Amino acid sequence: MSALTFTMKKRLDQRVDMSPLVCNLLEGLTPKEIAGIELQNGKRKIRVDELFRIKGDDTQNIVIEGSFAKLDFIGKQLAGGNITVHGDVGAYLGLEMKSGSIKVEGNAGIYAACEMKNGYLEIKGNTGDLLAAALPGNKQGMKGGTVLVKGNVGERAGDHMRRGTLLIEGNAGDYCGSRMVAGTIAVMGTTGRYLGYAMRRGTLLLWNQPQLSATFNDCGSHTLAFLPILFASFKNLNSKFAKESARFNRVQRYGGDMAETGRGEVLVKI
Amino acid sequence: MLTKLTGGIVYDPANKVNGKKKDIYIKDGKIVNKPRNVEPDKEYNITGKVVMAGAIDLHTHIGGGKGNIARMLMPENHRIDAVAHTGIKRAGTGHAMPSTFITGYRYAEMGYTAAFEPAVLPVNARQAHMEMGDVPMLDKGGYVLMGSDDYFLRMMTANKDQQAINDYVAWTLRAAQGIGIKVVNPGGISAFKFNQRQLDLDEKNKHYNVTPRDILKSLATAVKELGIKHPLHVHGSNLGVPGNTQTTLDSIAGVEGLPMHLTHIQFHSYGTEGDFKFSSGAAQIAESINKNKNISVDVGQIMFGQTVTASGDNMRQYANHGFANPNKWVCMDIECDAGCGLVPFKYRDQNFVNALQWTIGLEIFLLVKDPWRIFLTTDHPNGAPFSSYPHLIRLLMDKSFRNDMLSSIHPEAQKMSTLGTIDREYTMQEIAILTRAGAAKITGLVGRGSLGKDSWADITVYTENENREKMFEKPDYVFKDGEMVVKDGEVVKTVWGTTHVVRPEYDKSVEKDLKQYFDKYLTMKIGNFAISDDEITEDGRGSLTVHPTVGEKV
Repeated sequence: MSALTFTMKKRLDQRVDMSPLVCNLLEGLTPKEIAGIELQNGKRKIRVDELFRIKGDDTQNIVIEGSFAKLDFIGKQLAGGNITVHGDVGAYLGLEMKSGSIKVEGNAGIYAACEMKNGYLEIKGNTGDLLAAALPGNKQGMKGGTVLVKGNVGERAGDHMRRGTLLIEGNAGDYCGSRMVAGTIAVMGTTGRYLGYAMRRGTLLLWNQPQLSATFNDCGSHTLAFLPILFASFKNLNSKFAKESARFNRVQRYGGDMAETGRGEVLVKI
Repeated sequence: MLTKLTGGIVYDPANKVNGKKKDIYIKDGKIVNKPRNVEPDKEYNITGKVVMAGAIDLHTHIGGGKGNIARMLMPENHRIDAVAHTGIKRAGTGHAMPSTFITGYRYAEMGYTAAFEPAVLPVNARQAHMEMGDVPMLDKGGYVLMGSDDYFLRMMTANKDQQAINDYVAWTLRAAQGIGIKVVNPGGISAFKFNQRQLDLDEKNKHYNVTPRDILKSLATAVKELGIKHPLHVHGSNLGVPGNTQTTLDSIAGVEGLPMHLTHIQFHSYGTEGDFKFSSGAAQIAESINKNKNISVDVGQIMFGQTVTASGDNMRQYANHGFANPNKWVCMDIECDAGCGLVPFKYRDQNFVNALQWTIGLEIFLLVKDPWRIFLTTDHPNGAPFSSYPHLIRLLMDKSFRNDMLSSIHPEAQKMSTLGTIDREYTMQEIAILTRAGAAKITGLVGRGSLGKDSWADITVYTENENREKMFEKPDYVFKDGEMVVKDGEVVKTVWGTTHVVRPEYDKSVEKDLKQYFDKYLTMKIGNFAISDDEITEDGRGSLTVHPTVGEKV
């Protein structure tokens, strides 16, 4: 069996809701049945075979070729299986994803990994704002799993994040880790203003000294035994985080946000 | 144009018609006697179908600032109920606090033709009317909220005579374009701002030295003396507090025979017996209602599921914020005029308190004997969204269904409740009284809730079905002012109802003092405060219908 491959025929003006094309929903369907599925495209519907050339039949391995930034909801509520995307993706990549893996070769839009529950999400390029955040009005963002971003991320990465790991090789925008409930965010590049704004618990692991708000207290420098264990858990990733040279165990620790319950921590490499 | 509805079984309690086969003729939006020698232009054969007037909801929160705050607070509640537009209907979102258009459509598709917003804050009345102006399909109106406003409480402190209070009440009613007067936790909304966290009937507001009992009596007297047909609409003290049955009984005694409508009485009928110190006061409350003919009530039944509670009673909403589910809430002051509190609630059948609340509401429905003094509400959205009415009607009309439901709730609540021993089932005629004729009468509507000659042709046609929920959730036809607007439970034409108001006379010199007060303390001038008729009618779809006061000629 070869991977079920959707190759983009044309770039549409209106956005496309890709949520029907996930492994768990396509399981057991023939390519002909898949071709007849209707996708929401702006205010009208469009058949899958109108938009894509379809090849292959392994519904548990989906490849999207020639993707661009107007394909929203790729991998929504994915429960098992793999999705690989060549090109950019739109908003809500991996929304409420439960398990399985998604790999994107290009950039992702806003709300990638929104309320993700488990599984693995990898983005080679940059992502928009609100990575791993909660939907507007909801109280909890990402609840589990691992997200790896090789590029930069926008503002409010990890907003309301509850559990899981967010690994960012590039830079993070303002309000990184805002209103975080728990979980881990690691940023190798720089971070913006209002880091950890109103975070309650959770860990922000940084390679570069951030600009911290007055509501974070310096708790001194520490050698933390858990850091090597944490790094060891990254060793199978295709990432800078897996490299021996990236590892350290000596950090400056800041506690906050004292404007909230203040049990979160910012750990900065020294 | 003459329209004829042929062969329906008519339930029209306003004209003492109880399940009689009868043809109905409609001309120029009104019901007429059978005309001689004129053939109908349009005839609907509804042989054997049940015909009632359009239903009227006399207590439902469909306008005013709190609705928008609830919408902002709960976007997740909208996401689960997105409604696409059709050729006729506009798009919107729904569930606990639907958008205005969806509110209108859903009411109409259940056979409702009128709904009344029970908490129009005078200072926010413009927004409330604008919002209701955006609700299609329905007639509407509002009860103007008084009793915790600074000006009124100052008058009470200063011992102003009843005439002065009457003038102020009538002026406010006119300025806010209402059809009745409402009071919420009398004086309590104000007391909350002076750090009082509860206020019993005879406890003084610390700042103004006034008790809820004084306020109730003063406003109920004003309503009576001004000839406003809808009795003082009272959301009593101590909402939701175990043991508040006594407060409610005392309030009934406190108005000394003046007309009073106790709203969402279910939330005010709690005792303190049993292991959990929470029990039903339904029997005592119902007995008192049966005895005191000046009292009318609506129930405010709760239904299991997600909703949001929206109330002017910031004191009680603040006290309950710990129960917020999902965990987020809003309480705020509204320009010293009143308050506002929003707390999302998820009523669960396996929660002892919620389960008992459910039985208490039903017990009151079944124990109050006079259907003309009790009304079917869930206090939308506080007890449940209004879309649960058909289910509620089935609970009232079908004893075995009710007992099946009862057997599925929290076992301790089942043991505490007398609901299973009550055999009463509501008849079709009684449902018509609760939701039509009675509601029109108590709100003082002329020409509504009736299928008699000269009434406006608001008519609902249902197909008889043993499953009353199925029957009442999907009428065959709904006519609004003589036009067919719903067919097979789907809106087929968008129409715009009128706004019902009442305008008792008052001494215009009341504005002299008020002008000074407005200039000194409030955010707007008195001239901008009053809502002119044009504001409601100038968009071309709104209209005003003025109803007579007691004794006034139609």
